[in-house]
Amino acid sequence: MALDSFPANLTLRDGTILAVTPLQPSDSGALLAFYRSLPEEDRLVLRDDVTTADWAEGFLRKVETKEIISLIAKSAGKVVGEATLYRQLHGWTRHVGEIRVTVAPAFRRKGLATALASGQVKIATDLGIEKIIVQVVDNQLAARRAFEKLGFHKDAILPHHVMDIAGKKRDLIVLANDVSQVWAAMETVNQDYAPHLS
Amino acid sequence: MAKTEIRVGGLGGQGVILCGSIIGKAAAIHGGKQATLIQAFGPEARGSACSAQVMVSDEVIGYPYVKHPDVLVLMSQDAFTRFIPQVGPGGLVLYESDLVNPEGKVPAGVRCVGVPATRFAEELGRRLVLNIVMVGFFAGVTGLVPIQAVEKAVLDSVPKGTEDLNMKALRKGYDYGRQQSALIC
Repeated sequence: MALDSFPANLTLRDGTILAVTPLQPSDSGALLAFYRSLPEEDRLVLRDDVTTADWAEGFLRKVETKEIISLIAKSAGKVVGEATLYRQLHGWTRHVGEIRVTVAPAFRRKGLATALASGQVKIATDLGIEKIIVQVVDNQLAARRAFEKLGFHKDAILPHHVMDIAGKKRDLIVLANDVSQVWAAMETVNQDYAPHLS
Repeated sequence: MAKTEIRVGGLGGQGVILCGSIIGKAAAIHGGKQATLIQAFGPEARGSACSAQVMVSDEVIGYPYVKHPDVLVLMSQDAFTRFIPQVGPGGLVLYESDLVNPEGKVPAGVRCVGVPATRFAEELGRRLVLNIVMVGFFAGVTGLVPIQAVEKAVLDSVPKGTEDLNMKALRKGYDYGRQQSALIC
């Protein structure tokens, strides 16, 4: 699933149909409105202050340079979910991508976050990214389960690394998905050696 | 066509056997035909000669060995040199045009069509899918097995997570094959 697979319609578990597209500069206002509409508690776990125009401008700049690939899900023209693939175009972590997913409260538990994350995993795999990471807080059990279903596993724990809205410190868990294995598997079936084909 | 003899040849590591296996699966499992596959390897997995013999028929196949292929699918010059004498008049040679130079060596009455499968695969992002481009090219030129059956066979055969790129590779080869087919027929 590369970017040219989009726009695509996504049917959620409750039958709602959303349009999923790569973020365009014209979506800047809708993206900002989406992030501003999130409860403060949710925004706290985000790394940046996503409510400012400066943030949106910087974010779009990185989309243009392809340092960021962003997929947005829209319902009736409003952004209701966003998944970002961050990658380093140069340097010693250029084989690593990081995914972040945010979904509006009304659209949670319907498969949207999993679908967006899954789309980004496929995009990352197609881009040649070999390892994908995602960071979750220890109490984000649903998010953790969803990523584990996509092949992520616990790679590291940073104890007491984040502080929630009540001032409680929590562990940050880094989940990783070594997608190079996916293509290693393809290489194996192409070996022309295995005596038994499945 | 009651029976079609196919020989796929190339180097180990190019996915020669998988290419033959997918053609056979498409025909037998998803295309309602009978098919057999025989694989032969060189002494090492990578870089040595490797070939697959695929028989596709509307009827039960009693003898699975390919003696005079109706279709040759070739991914290396060595395979071309080795197998080209076997193909008879009316035969069809499908070759990887960046790896095989057939000039002046194709017997009379044999049709010969090339595809830059490696280049296509690299453009898609993975050289590894060159064999799937070849499968698509085979399907597009020969029309022996419906593309839907080939798609199912590819999805059955490739590792999870690689389906999208493999399907693109298949479609790329197929579309190119359809274009070339229109030119040679």
